[in-house]
Amino acid sequence: MPILTLLNSWSVYLICGVIIAFVAVVCVVFMVRAYRAGLAMGMDKTLMKRTITSSATFSLLPSVSILLGVIALSGSLGTPWPWLRLSVIGALHYETQVAQGAAEQVGMTTLSAAEMTPSAFATIALLMSICIMWGMILSALFNKRYLKKIGGRKAGGGGFGDMAMTAMFIGLVSAYIGSYIGELVSGKGLFTFGGSWQPLVVVAVSGAVMAGFVQLAKNKKFAWVENFSIAASMIVGMAAAVIVGLFAR
Amino acid sequence: MDEQKSKGYFENYNNRTHVIGRIVSIMVLVMLVGAPFVIGGVIGAMPDLAAVGKGFLSVGLVWTVSSVVEFLIYTPMLGAGGSYLAFITGNLINMKIPCAVNARDIVGAKTGTPENEIISTLSIATSSLVTILVLALGVVLLVPLQPILQSPALQPAFENVVPALFGAMAYRYYRKNMKIATAPLVAMSVLFILVPSLTGSTSFMIIPSGAIAIGIAYFFYKKRAKAGKNT
Repeated sequence: MPILTLLNSWSVYLICGVIIAFVAVVCVVFMVRAYRAGLAMGMDKTLMKRTITSSATFSLLPSVSILLGVIALSGSLGTPWPWLRLSVIGALHYETQVAQGAAEQVGMTTLSAAEMTPSAFATIALLMSICIMWGMILSALFNKRYLKKIGGRKAGGGGFGDMAMTAMFIGLVSAYIGSYIGELVSGKGLFTFGGSWQPLVVVAVSGAVMAGFVQLAKNKKFAWVENFSIAASMIVGMAAAVIVGLFAR
Repeated sequence: MDEQKSKGYFENYNNRTHVIGRIVSIMVLVMLVGAPFVIGGVIGAMPDLAAVGKGFLSVGLVWTVSSVVEFLIYTPMLGAGGSYLAFITGNLINMKIPCAVNARDIVGAKTGTPENEIISTLSIATSSLVTILVLALGVVLLVPLQPILQSPALQPAFENVVPALFGAMAYRYYRKNMKIATAPLVAMSVLFILVPSLTGSTSFMIIPSGAIAIGIAYFFYKKRAKAGKNT
């Protein structure tokens, strides 16, 4: 039987589907508990509903790009395994790199169905699981102690803790935007300006659209746009990438 | 609910979150490590443990370091419930962290407060469910969707999801914190221009970039506190 037929069999779908369903139930349990706790502590119902709406719209587009990761890996690993990996624990940038590295370790020249064997698949799948499980292990072992230690220092929010978290996020965004600038200027050789300028155009367009939304949301009549501002800015930014792509051809 | 009762309720809620979080993390861990063996049983081959060991040393160690860093940085941002869920469901940098930060910003919750804990958990749980749903639908509709999603004209859009996300988030955060943002942005740009090979390790460069931003934020925090004392 061809390897992809084996990897796309109903039994493999069932194994992966059960794990994904379990994680979905866990998410629902955490969500319901948090919502009820919020209500019991007197939190505004509208704010919690806004959180759910904005998080749902926010996650739609990145989820579609994650689906592309599933499609990309399904050609060599079958559909159920990448579906499981990218629904649970996996990260888009991680899965393809580790799958490729793991394939080389089992003697394949490249990650492809042509070279895949049942044993190679089982080995690659286990390696993919082991390489990325540490965040979950650390979380299970040290989450409580770590949060208690940090919480003791900044008791009740406010203080520097909140500012530090904002600064850390600014650092994260700056590292990525800096990498796009570096790629444009030196991506094809130091100071040659031959690298891709697409990501920077997308950053600029997406940021400009966001600026428009921020201005619009200042008017109380349009405060609701805040819930969709990130998703809408992303759509326009990504559309700009398509247009740039057409001109670049 | 008075303040004392509310505090007691939240402590109880938080303790139970840790218990549930630990149990489900271990259960998911067992399932994920066990799945290759169970699937192996179905397809008629077991993993080669020697190759797994060798593979871990060559490709896994770098991700182990990355996981430690992610745990240390993101756990305080997400709170207890949010971080258990985020480490179970993955896709932290490209989705869960910005999603929770955005929700926190919209609601105005402060880090370390009960509100932040609730908002962060709601946000990560919703985000995870949306991803699970989109991927499940995508897998069901894989045959008709594949040509559309993989059409060459749309590829630039999907290759630029992260720049689109960070462009919008950058405007939101930079405009209120230009003094903090300028130095890490300039430093990172210069570094990536001079050492272009670092673009392959951007997720690690978050550490020095974040450290610069936190250092500057601390300077302004102290300066403001000093000015407050003097007035």
